[in-house]
Amino acid sequence: MSSSTGIGLGPRSRISAWLHHHRQAATDSFGKLLGAPISTLMTAVAIGIALALPTILLLAIESVERQLLTIDNPPQLTLLLEPSMTIDEANKLLDQIERKPGISKVELIPRDDALSEFVDATGLTQLMDSLTDNPLPHTLWVYPAANVRQAGIEALAQDLAKSNGVATAVVDSRWLKRLEASLEAGQVTVQAIGVLLALGVIFVLGNTLRLSIEARRDEIVVIKLIGGGDRFARRPFLYSGLWLGALGGLVSCLVVLLIGSSIAPAIEGLFALYDRQPLRLGLSLQLAMLLSAAGAAIGWLSAYVSVSVHLTKIQPR
Amino acid sequence: MDVQFNRVTKRFGDRDALKDLSFSMVSGEMAFLTGHSGAGKSTLLRLLLCLDRPSSGELVVGGRSVNAISNRKIAHYRRDFGVVFQDHQLLFDRSVFNNVALPLEIAGFSQRDIERRVRAALDKVGLLDREKALPESLSGGEQQRVGIARAVVARPKILIADEPTGNLDPQLSAEIMGLFTAFNSVGVTVIVASHDLALISRMSQRILTLKNGQLITRGESQQADAQ
Repeated sequence: MSSSTGIGLGPRSRISAWLHHHRQAATDSFGKLLGAPISTLMTAVAIGIALALPTILLLAIESVERQLLTIDNPPQLTLLLEPSMTIDEANKLLDQIERKPGISKVELIPRDDALSEFVDATGLTQLMDSLTDNPLPHTLWVYPAANVRQAGIEALAQDLAKSNGVATAVVDSRWLKRLEASLEAGQVTVQAIGVLLALGVIFVLGNTLRLSIEARRDEIVVIKLIGGGDRFARRPFLYSGLWLGALGGLVSCLVVLLIGSSIAPAIEGLFALYDRQPLRLGLSLQLAMLLSAAGAAIGWLSAYVSVSVHLTKIQPR
Repeated sequence: MDVQFNRVTKRFGDRDALKDLSFSMVSGEMAFLTGHSGAGKSTLLRLLLCLDRPSSGELVVGGRSVNAISNRKIAHYRRDFGVVFQDHQLLFDRSVFNNVALPLEIAGFSQRDIERRVRAALDKVGLLDREKALPESLSGGEQQRVGIARAVVARPKILIADEPTGNLDPQLSAEIMGLFTAFNSVGVTVIVASHDLALISRMSQRILTLKNGQLITRGESQQADAQ
């Protein structure tokens, strides 16, 4: 094809014509959406909510996970020593263990301290009096290094249990393990819900676009009659989907902001009870861009599905 | 562009809409296609535009077999045609200007070229002052002229009109036929389907008469039929 020079008798080059089509389809379809603000807004809100729900849940889960990472090395291993161990032997063992890799600190709780602490905590002074012998062994609290995760701690416990003088190694972090597992399950669940919601959006938006395809049936027929191909006829609808999806993404940003700021104080209160840092349900720029892009992608995809199904059925009669 | 129908048959169910039809037109020729309704005029035009495919026989346009054009290439093939419809087929949600501009947009002309060509086409049909109007506000004759402007704006090689004067009074009809003759005089192949025998017999052009899907008069071709 010749490019338009001077007298401009022919169509422009393929690429510039193609770019021109795109620009025109994009602006035209945006104009059409603005021309029907209410239905545009309703569709965008539906998409926005569908995107915002899983986002908020994922943010909450992520936030709790972040809290878990900041938990400052709780005593995650308790070594109950043999009753026959003396305090000196216990101290020697402490030195040995502390030198092992993956250990940040070891603390010795002498049996007498343990007993008095127990009595203080429970108020069972009579029990103390009735005992002739302290039944508690010396105890070592082993703090693994911060980078040692759950599996590593289990291995460490097995290893330490074999040490001379150690009667039992107790991993007292099962709650952490359970919490981590439930968070992971929660995350997978939310992701599945997110996929379902996205599918729902694709079908709902696809149907909305089907109606607009029907409404512009005459236009499509005329376009096909005078030499416009499927691509040309399809383009405005793809852009409609893209714009609606992107608008939906922006709405979802608003919803995340709104919900985040309204429920965050309540959750922060909860976290404060556990002496934890405040929860962050904020909307980062990155997340906002991700949501808009996800909305646009979903919108485009549903337009593509809808148009592929319906547009080819419209042929000039 | 020249047009050849070689023993073309189009069958719908057990009825032959066109039966073993053969004729040809040379490039730059003009012909009227006439016959009672149901004689096959529309079917012939539809085959020419590749809206339907022949059941048998071959259709050659511009030296190229239309039978061989794949479905994906049909849209491109149609860009060589300007088509005027009886019911105008204008888009009522856009201005006269934008209606006429549509074929140029499809073909990928620049905005500058579009403006110049649309104005030239509207000028030819005498509607230059109505470019901003919506088709609704125009009379039937004016709407038809917008349709004609759209058909010729991309300078097609073949102009096809299906009953373009169907709903117009005799004077307007004559004016519109005059427009087609004018386009033909600059080298465009023109085929006009019309049942207005009184009008077309005055135009002293080739007349193809269809009856029951067969040509009963094929008029005088300038060259093609002599071959």
